Formats: sequence, structure tokens, C-alpha cells
Amino acid sequence: MFLPLLFNSKVSRLSKIEIRNLTVDYIEKNNRFTALKDVSFSVEAGEFVSVIGSSGCGKSTLLSILEGIISPTQGSILIDGKPIHGTGPNRGVVFQHYSLFPWMTARQNVAFGIKQVKKKLPKSERLKIADEFLDKVGLEHFKNKYPSQLSGGMQQRVAIARALAMDTDILLMDEPFGAIDAKNRTVLQDLLLKLWEGNGTQEKKTVVFVTHDIDEAILLSDRIVMMSENPGRVFKEIPVPFARPRNRTELVSTAEYGRFRNELLSLFYSDIASKIGGSEVVL
Amino acid sequence: MTLRERYLRITNLLFVILLAVQFLPDKVSKDPKTAYVIFFAVGVEVIVLLISALIKKPKDLNLFLDIIGFLFGFLILWTLFTAKFNLLKESLFPAPGRVFAQFIEDWRKILTNIRSSLGIIFQGFLLASAIAIPFGLFIGWSVRIGSAGTYISKFFSSIPPIVYIPYGIALLPTFRSVSVFVIFLATFWPVLASTMSGVMHVDKKIIDSAKVLNVGRFTMLFSVILPAALPQIFIGLNQGLTVSFILLTSAEMIGARDGLGYYVKQYSDFGDYTRTIVGILVIGIVVIAISFLFNKLQRYLLRWKS
Repeated sequence: MFLPLLFNSKVSRLSKIEIRNLTVDYIEKNNRFTALKDVSFSVEAGEFVSVIGSSGCGKSTLLSILEGIISPTQGSILIDGKPIHGTGPNRGVVFQHYSLFPWMTARQNVAFGIKQVKKKLPKSERLKIADEFLDKVGLEHFKNKYPSQLSGGMQQRVAIARALAMDTDILLMDEPFGAIDAKNRTVLQDLLLKLWEGNGTQEKKTVVFVTHDIDEAILLSDRIVMMSENPGRVFKEIPVPFARPRNRTELVSTAEYGRFRNELLSLFYSDIASKIGGSEVVL
Repeated sequence: MTLRERYLRITNLLFVILLAVQFLPDKVSKDPKTAYVIFFAVGVEVIVLLISALIKKPKDLNLFLDIIGFLFGFLILWTLFTAKFNLLKESLFPAPGRVFAQFIEDWRKILTNIRSSLGIIFQGFLLASAIAIPFGLFIGWSVRIGSAGTYISKFFSSIPPIVYIPYGIALLPTFRSVSVFVIFLATFWPVLASTMSGVMHVDKKIIDSAKVLNVGRFTMLFSVILPAALPQIFIGLNQGLTVSFILLTSAEMIGARDGLGYYVKQYSDFGDYTRTIVGILVIGIVVIAISFLFNKLQRYLLRWKS
């Protein structure tokens, strides 16, 4: 379904993010290992796309290229029509771990992020914006705490506040809730959903969200890109058919949700079944 | 804490014994100047009672009282072995009162010597740190030169800095400049080595988070790498400071005209062991005070560590 779009891209309008034929090879102990093979897809402005796949499918490698931390062996990424080289101020990132600087308080961490994109903004303004976003993620009483004094969930709230406060067009999130306990994970998913959907007046951010959690992907995204491993490649792209604003409890109770979720799961496991060479997969 | 827990302690009992011991008859030829010991003991006990009243945690009070208890116990033995029973050679082991009296008599001279020693240490130590830390940041951050730099700084920091003294004397005009030079070397290499190792061991995740924030080279080095490497850097700074004290006091015993090492050496040459003991105790107190302040600074700068 996206192939014609790719071939016509010279005449048609370009998407916000164009990922074109990415291939990444690693050389490890003289063995060539292909982490990504010919990965192409695009993300529209204001779209929330989740990339899901089992561990080792290269989804984190893909995001590292988008972040600009590593370069692909082949292929390119265009953002707003321009190829990216390294990191850039148009992308905000939330990692799974350790994305806060331990020697800065929550407030200083957020303000430091703002400083990198808005160098001319006076310090008092930066702190004001930092406070505003820490309020939004519910940390108004923890502004002056160091990361070591905060729980994992709170640290991720700070990381989200920082990414949002930097006000970049694009948000890249690499399993941001992967290390958080189940209860806090749902709270953070709902928070992210609420902040991203906003009140409908402001422009939505373009999000690429890596996860291995199918329910998380369905709840949050407009479209799901499924990847398979060995070598990592795009296996299927599926639009999520549920209207916004979404509400977890309402959404999960509908029959459509169950059907859609089963469809995704069977796709996911059919891929695994074909890899191990048989259809008998015991779950 | 109850009143009993606060005031009915062995340390307070030792104070009473120390005081009582002072009133035994003296058996030495020189005046043991007992009044100074009494004055000192009462002064310490007043502080003990004040702190016992104010301190909040029983654990902190225990620590404080134990230390003072040792001090009182030591003074009791010292008094008995010298002034009261004369069991040790009087000229080599003066009574505690004589040492206190000497300290009070000499305190201006001692202060000048402290100032001279600390001046040299801070000059050499601060100069070395101010150069070694930025230098280590740049070299450590540059992947290629970094690993070569590690070997080179390891080589130089393995040389005991005391061997530079004779060469320093040949190179430089004054004792002061030689001392600053040697302390500079004693601090420079360990701080450079620990800074580079700190930089090279900064968690890659921290560097990646800084990279995706798009920080410039300067911000990366001084706002990200420096604080991340600071715990390691402090290891080198601590080593440099400790070695500096050892070096300086030794050097002062060889060729200085003032300083704490000079004070000790000069009076022991003249057989004035009361002053020798005063000098040794003062050096202990100065080193403890400096490392206490340095620890405070370290704790403050690393307060973000859990």
C-alpha cells in the first residue's frame, strides 16, 4: 500500500518523516550481522506511529538512526524533505533508561533541555516553562529533587516533561514505559495520551513510539508498524481504527478492540511461526 | 533521649577521673603546669555538655562522646605516666600541661607556620587541579589521544613525587618555588589520570541523552562530562591532597625556613621535645581540619548521588 506512494514521492507531497531503504550491518567478531534490512515507511505530520516487534527486531536501532546517534549503512531519512545527518533540534527523545542527568534536579533537567533549543531565552523564562511542564506531568512537589530521589515512573515523567517542554516537532520514544511496573505504566500511558491529544486546539506532535506491548501500541497510536527479526524489516503496517479522544476503559471494553487485538496478535505469531518453519506454535 | 542517656556517660566519668588525677602529688623536677590540663579538660567538658544537650540523634552523640572519651582516657594515662609517677624519661616525654602551655606560648609562631605551609599547598594544589581537570577532559574526550594519555599519565603518577625534590632544588631559585613545583606534580598526574578515566567511563546512556539534546562541544564537556566524571575526579584530588601534605612537611624538614615541618625538625634538633610534640599535634589537627573541609566540599558537589 505504500509502494506506489514511495515511487510517486517526487510528485506527491512529502511526509513529515520519510524513512527510505534503511539497512544497518554490524560487524561483530568478524561476523556480519544485519540489524535492519531495507526498512522503508513514512510518518505524516501530527501522526502517532508505534513500531512494535519482538526484542532483536531492530526497532531500537531504527529509532537510534532517527535520533541521529547512529548512521545507517545504506538508505536515508528525510525530515521535512531534508536528509538528516546526526542529531537535530527538531527531534525530542525519551529513552527507556537514564535519560536524565543525575546531578541536575528535575527542574534543572527540564530547563537544560529547553536551553538547548532556545538559547536566547532568559533563565527565568526557561525555569517558568520547566515548572509549567512539570506541573502538567504531576510533579509540582518534586521539582527540586534529584533523579536518585525519584522513582522510575517519576523519572520518566520528568523525561516526558523535558521532551514536551523543548517543543520539538517530532517526539521519538524508545520503550519509555518498558521498565516501569504495570500499574504506573497505565498511568503514564494515559498521561501521554492526554498530553499528546491535547485540547484539540494546538498542533499535534509527530510521534514515533517503539514498544513491544501490543495494548500500549493500540491505545496510543494512529498506525502500527510491525517489524520482524533476522534481519529486521517492516513486516506489516496497520492503521488503528479507533476514534480519538480515546479512553482506556471504554476502548478496552468494546468488541472491536478485542477483535483488532486478536488480529494483530495472530499476525505477530504467524510471522514467528513462519520463521521457525511450522504452524504449530504453542502459546 | 532521656537525661540519663544524655549526661550519665562514661565520658563524663572519665572527665571526673582526669580532674581528680591532677590533684595527686607531682613526682617530676620540672613544673608540670597542671593548671593548663585542668583548664583544657574543663573547656572540653563544657563543650561536651553543650553538645550533649543539643544533639538530636543518639548515634551522633555516641560517636562524639566516644572520641572525647578516648581523648580523656589518653590524657589520664599521659598525666599518670609523666607528672604523677614519672615512669618515662622526663626530657623526652613532657607532661601534658607543659605541652598545652607551650602551645599557648607559641601560638603566634605556630599560626605563621600554618599559614606558610597551607599557602604552598594551596598554590600547588589549586594550580595543578585548575590545569589537570580541563586538560583531562579534553584528552579523555578525544578517543584517539585518550588511550595514549592514560598510559602516559599512569607512568608519571607512579613516580613518587618526592624524587623530584633534588631536581627541583637544582632548577628553581627558592625553597618556596621548589615546594610549589613538587606539590604541583604530586597533584597534577593523579588528577589528570582520574579525570581521563572518569571521562572515559561516563555512562554511554548519559552521553547519548546529551547528544540527542543537541548540546554543543563546550556544553558537552563542561555541563555533562565534567559533572558525570566528578566522582572519579575527586579520587585523584583526594590522593593529590594527601600526598601534598606528606611531601610538604618532609620537604620543610629538609630545607625550609618556616612551615610546620620546619617547626618540628628545628626543635627536635635542639632537644626541645615539648615543642616537637606541639608541632606533631598541630600537623595532625591541620590535616584533619583540611580533609574535613574538603570532604564537606566533595559531599556538597556530589550531593546528587544517592
